[in-house]
Amino acid sequence: MNLRILKAPAAAAALLFLAVAACTDPTVKPKSTVTEANVFNDPTAYQQLLSRVYSGLAVSGQVGPAGNGDIQGIDEGFSQYLRLYWECEELPTDEAVIGWNDIGLPEMNTMTWTSSSRMVVAMYYRIGVQAVMANDFLRQTTTAALASRGNVSAALKTQIQQWRAEARFLRALSYWHAIDLFGSIPLVTENDPIGGAPPKQVTRDSMYHFVVSELNAIKDSLPTWGAANLGRATQAAAHMLLAELYLNAGVYTGTPNYSGALTEAAAVIATPGLTLDPNWRHLFQADNRTSPEIVFPIESDGVVTQTWGGVTFLAHASCGGSMSASTYGIDYCWGGTRLKLEAFKNYSAGDNRAAFFYASGQTDTVYTIGNFNSGIAAPKFVNVTSGGAAGSNPTFVDTWFPLFRLGEAYLIYAEANLRGGGGSAATALGYVNALRERAYGGVAGDITAGQLDLPFVLAERGRELLWEAHRRTDLVRYGLFTGGSYLWSWKGGQINGVATDAHLNLYPLPATELITNPNLTQNPGY
Amino acid sequence: MKRGRYVISALLAVLWMVPLRAQEPGRVRGRVVDDASKQPLAAATVTIGSRSAQTGTDGHFAITVPAGTDSMRVRMLGYAPVVQAVTVEAGQTLVVPDIGMTQQAVGLSEIVVVGYGQQRAGDITGAVKQLSVEDFNPGQIVNPAGLLQDRIAGVEVKENSNAPGSGFAIRIRGATSYTATNDPLYVIDGMPVSTGNLGAAGRDPLNFLNPNDIESMTVLKDASAAAIYGTNAANGVVLITTKSGAAGGRHGSQVEYSTTASMSSITKTPSVLSPTQFRAAVAYDDSLVRATNPTYTGRLGMLGTASTNWMDQITRTGYGTDQNLSLTNAGDGLFYRLSLGYLKSNGIIQGSSTERLSLGLNYDQRLLSDRLDVKLNAKGSRTNDVYQNGGTLGDAVGMAPTQPILDPTTATGYWNWQTGSATANNPLEDLNTTVDKGTTWRSVGNIQADYQLPWIQGLRANMNAGYDVTSVSRQTFNPNNTSQQLHAQHGFLGLNNTSQVNTVFEAYLNYAAPLNVVPGRIDVTGGYSYGQTHGVQPSPGYGYTFQQTNLTSNLFGINGIPTPNLGTVNNGEYIVDSKLISWFGRFNYNLNDRYLVAASVRRDGSSRFGPGNQWGTFPSVSLAWRLSQESFLRSVTQLSDLKLRAGWAKTGNQGFGDYLQYALINSSNGQASYQLGNTVYGTIRPSAVDPNIKWEETNSYNVGLDFGLLNQRVTGTIDWYTKKTTDLIFTVPVASETNFSNYVTTNIGSSRNRGLELALNAVILQGRGNSLGWTAGFTAAHNANTLLSIDPKKSVPLVPVGGVSGGVGTTIQVLEPGAEMYSFYVCRQFYQNGKPVSNKYYYVNGDSTFSGLPNAPDVCDSRGQRPYHSPEPTWNLGYTSNFTFRNFDASFTLRAYLGNYVYNNVASNNGTYQNVSNGGSPTNMSTDVLKTGFTVPRFLSDYYVQDASFLRMDNLTVGYTFHYRGQPMRVFATVTNAFTITGYSGVDPTAGIGGIDNNIYPRSRTVTGGLSVRF
Repeated sequence: MNLRILKAPAAAAALLFLAVAACTDPTVKPKSTVTEANVFNDPTAYQQLLSRVYSGLAVSGQVGPAGNGDIQGIDEGFSQYLRLYWECEELPTDEAVIGWNDIGLPEMNTMTWTSSSRMVVAMYYRIGVQAVMANDFLRQTTTAALASRGNVSAALKTQIQQWRAEARFLRALSYWHAIDLFGSIPLVTENDPIGGAPPKQVTRDSMYHFVVSELNAIKDSLPTWGAANLGRATQAAAHMLLAELYLNAGVYTGTPNYSGALTEAAAVIATPGLTLDPNWRHLFQADNRTSPEIVFPIESDGVVTQTWGGVTFLAHASCGGSMSASTYGIDYCWGGTRLKLEAFKNYSAGDNRAAFFYASGQTDTVYTIGNFNSGIAAPKFVNVTSGGAAGSNPTFVDTWFPLFRLGEAYLIYAEANLRGGGGSAATALGYVNALRERAYGGVAGDITAGQLDLPFVLAERGRELLWEAHRRTDLVRYGLFTGGSYLWSWKGGQINGVATDAHLNLYPLPATELITNPNLTQNPGY
Repeated sequence: MKRGRYVISALLAVLWMVPLRAQEPGRVRGRVVDDASKQPLAAATVTIGSRSAQTGTDGHFAITVPAGTDSMRVRMLGYAPVVQAVTVEAGQTLVVPDIGMTQQAVGLSEIVVVGYGQQRAGDITGAVKQLSVEDFNPGQIVNPAGLLQDRIAGVEVKENSNAPGSGFAIRIRGATSYTATNDPLYVIDGMPVSTGNLGAAGRDPLNFLNPNDIESMTVLKDASAAAIYGTNAANGVVLITTKSGAAGGRHGSQVEYSTTASMSSITKTPSVLSPTQFRAAVAYDDSLVRATNPTYTGRLGMLGTASTNWMDQITRTGYGTDQNLSLTNAGDGLFYRLSLGYLKSNGIIQGSSTERLSLGLNYDQRLLSDRLDVKLNAKGSRTNDVYQNGGTLGDAVGMAPTQPILDPTTATGYWNWQTGSATANNPLEDLNTTVDKGTTWRSVGNIQADYQLPWIQGLRANMNAGYDVTSVSRQTFNPNNTSQQLHAQHGFLGLNNTSQVNTVFEAYLNYAAPLNVVPGRIDVTGGYSYGQTHGVQPSPGYGYTFQQTNLTSNLFGINGIPTPNLGTVNNGEYIVDSKLISWFGRFNYNLNDRYLVAASVRRDGSSRFGPGNQWGTFPSVSLAWRLSQESFLRSVTQLSDLKLRAGWAKTGNQGFGDYLQYALINSSNGQASYQLGNTVYGTIRPSAVDPNIKWEETNSYNVGLDFGLLNQRVTGTIDWYTKKTTDLIFTVPVASETNFSNYVTTNIGSSRNRGLELALNAVILQGRGNSLGWTAGFTAAHNANTLLSIDPKKSVPLVPVGGVSGGVGTTIQVLEPGAEMYSFYVCRQFYQNGKPVSNKYYYVNGDSTFSGLPNAPDVCDSRGQRPYHSPEPTWNLGYTSNFTFRNFDASFTLRAYLGNYVYNNVASNNGTYQNVSNGGSPTNMSTDVLKTGFTVPRFLSDYYVQDASFLRMDNLTVGYTFHYRGQPMRVFATVTNAFTITGYSGVDPTAGIGGIDNNIYPRSRTVTGGLSVRF
């Protein structure tokens, strides 16, 4: 009897010991998420990774319209690439004002940002993330990496060579934004490891040369412009980006390259199939993806590409006051952006590019930045097709953003010609008048060769490319962005404008970045 | 699953022994009396071996025990325990002489539940407080945490919200963490349960447990007591013991029934403009805008002629009921308790309610001459929650009071601004057309076998296998024809199905050396624990397992969508598994009841820790010196107890998300794709991670003094503690261009909590016989929290937190090193003639306003923002009084917070004239606008950070106990939230846990009447 009593606990203890010995590894691998370990077991991952480099310009995170955001430290809707870029390029200029008091926004209207201003900081990080994403694609698609996985077909390998060129274009594009907005930032490539030491800053000049050499290296590997390559980085896009770089080379490097700008603009213009859209409004409407003029877009779609930034932001924010949202194919006016007085006054009677302005109940002067009724409304980007139909979704617009379009190539040609970049003055005049004839619906607005000078080109760029995220770059190139030679309303925070300091030609590097990366030197003046 | 088999085999091995021996028992009878008066004592507990019984009103007891010699212990509150040996012959009844008990110190010999065992209160070396049924707050309480409110120094029980069932957050000695949880670990009858990550229900995860089933709750405040729970112990531990058949002690069966009915009425609503005031405000704002824009038509014309008090329309008197029926049985070696509960509580906002049906079983079988004790606990409940539409309160504040309720011309029949940009909608349309409800099924149970090993006296083996199963489903439906939906999502259907299964297996050996083996008493425990969790929830970033917008039909409501379904669908389901494997040990030593030593260690391996940090070790040491036992103090007769305690421990916090150490590749949903050529592609994005993520670590020191005076009529405790938490998890910036995001989540920060706690209890009037009895308890706690660093490199000077309504991304709180966590981060308002001047603030250095400086805009930004007060009180006071007189009893509890601040977001967001002209419709305002005259919101002004110190009578109860046909019955009435005295201008000074008063659920005063009967 006693023996039996002893046996049972002994057996239990033995079993317990076994149980315990078997359970000493706490590791649990994730089950319903993809990890670095298994992602490329499915070769479609390469296409998905490349698409992510593109969508980095268009969405704010992996869940549209918002969720699982890419960058932190800012509201996700605010963090979208194009929305930030647009705010950096338009709000401090003579073109636009935004009425909201959200932290980081008011100072964009008045050039009073600091190295902690949220929009500036987020723009900087957006560029960094975009570069890292492009680098990751390049790192994962090296010949060695592809060979090591053994499941990549020969056809896919060939395809990937073109994709690599596209990824390099997208990296070059964001680095151009970095050169333009921030000057000198670190340069990282696919050879720099993820999670590595803080990278070294390179000069604005060497970043410029890196970007130019990249574009020259890849431009022939890129696909050609056309409907089959809708949305892709094409050869025309590479020429256009080179034209932008060369046009502003004087600002970026101290050495202008207007002939380069002219050559590249001419290459864009010569692209087969690329023509001016006969209907200027169509460029900003919900079916503009069919426009023959758009060289490189940032996409937006009511169904498949949703964001609170991008053109959804542009369309909603420019609607307010007594405007009816449904007129613009949207569900709701956010009541944010209006024209500054100078942009409104830049148009002459007969110029149809001002026909969409909304003045009812609006003052032409921006008396109060916070009041939507103060300033003329400019609902340029709309969610209505050229046929008058509403977009697929009243909240998230179908309208693409024409980051590069042929119209601008015409103006670059004209400006480069005027600045001594060669080419033909007659051709330049022809290009400008082609745009103006479209704007006026005839020859009424044509100018003469004598009228075509640099100030005219700047003003024409303002009219043609209003709110297309070029203005700050243009004013800097003309030397008018800071200083007192051109004052516009709210420049420097005063309603009639005051002179501002030249250091504002560049945005500051984020204060946080200077701490996390001790290699960095802040831009002068901040 | 291999492990599961081992667990089952081991359990079977234990149970296999069950039918082994059954020797005939004997019986002991006797009577317990007061030694001085010789009067019989009722409800004294007599224990022989592991059997207990309670004396009846005549002092008699009878108890059936196995034959043999054993010690008989008699215990009763207020009397010194009596121990004597008894020898029982098989089949015989032993009648013992009257047992006389001497009145004595209360409490020291009480048994206190601690982690993996029990201890005598007098032996405890840490800061531990146990409350039993008689100490719990009365009234209709949905959530167990409510039982503790105001009762324990240093244990703050904060209302999450005032909605029914939204429960409480318990904060023990202050919050330490930002990323990980600040909730304590809850252990129910030895089974650790999860409280987080069941988000779908939205209400308190502990609601499943019927407070009526709880016997006692022990709070391990101090880390040296909690450290046996290792990486889950940093926020303290709450041990819940449920009622059992054995605890009552009375032989035989007993049925207990209690019923309560309650009525809640609103105490205060946000103060908004009346129709007349609103019309005047609109006219005023029209004139303001016209001053700069002469063409402005104004909005006075938009106003209707009605006079509607929207807040009255959405509120009601909330009725509630709570029914409890239990059956307990104490037999020979078999004890059980079965309980059934039903609770329904309607909130004071229409449409909000909670309803719980609960079942409880507690089964305890003693076998093998009581050497083996097998306990089975199972608690299960179904909770049905109905949530008020999220926008209802905000809409009731913002909807113009000049507009009517109904409009027969609209799709829903409710009047509304017919514009997509309306800033407030008809709250009744929201309330009556939308559905938001959820059902939670949850059960927690375990089987525990405790075996006294035969070959060494004092050696026990304990095995525990338990489960915690939760299934939550929530349905949210907004029809596509409300004014709001017509202009936005065009209808919304969201289904959120979350489930979680936790299983735990634990085994330990305990050796309590008999007195003759070594000098002093030794108690050693060592064991192993294995726990795993399997959860199914919506994918990260989704919020719903199924969600659809653009509903083409409202036909089925929450029940689905008719096919063909042309709406926009988003599905996402996600599996989360985790594991926690532990070894633990504890050593207790008591020398002559004078010197007490306790040490414990736990080694935890968690699936949440990165490869290099998978295992963490959490030791503790504590000492106590019972000075009152020393000869030099024995002569001080007034001093009945004096004990000095000191302890140190290291504990961890692993209450954060899973898989943080893995570089997950996130796939896009259908709305974040990109078109290239003619094809739309999904995308993938790697995430930025720190592969070495680990627990947050807290090092705590505690020094305490327990004292008792006048034979324990006055007792008290003073504790001082300091705890420093390191490796706090923050999401901090990484150098740009080095990772897939600009931030990475890593162990980097540190914080400190220091505090002082005082508890005093006094029996002011003894209340013997028919005289008045009065006992009182007072607690005071002070905690000072400081965030020491976020990142030693200072890449993050601060983390803005505390999002408020109004303005995207506007935050008004901060985590800043040197300041208290969650301090408000605002600018110092400039005043003129006693009124705040719009957008005029001081710089941080305080000596000049922004205005007048060149190029300095009138904004509140980092130049003027500084940490300013916090929602945490500097002193937290509680006071309880109990009176007894003949058959009557009365009690009340008071709570006071001193130095807590609340941000009045209703005033900051709704207190501006811009409400009239901004957006598509004029919006009503907080009456605060009449004080400030602000035209645009000034969210960051410290004007809105208001002192919310208060004194509140949380509970007032009157009861009467009587006998009806020989059975004890009690009737009582309780008023909860009887009154609040505060200077705070908003709705409630306890505005949620974060201190942001943003259209919070209004507070109610509840009157509960109840009856309980036993037979």
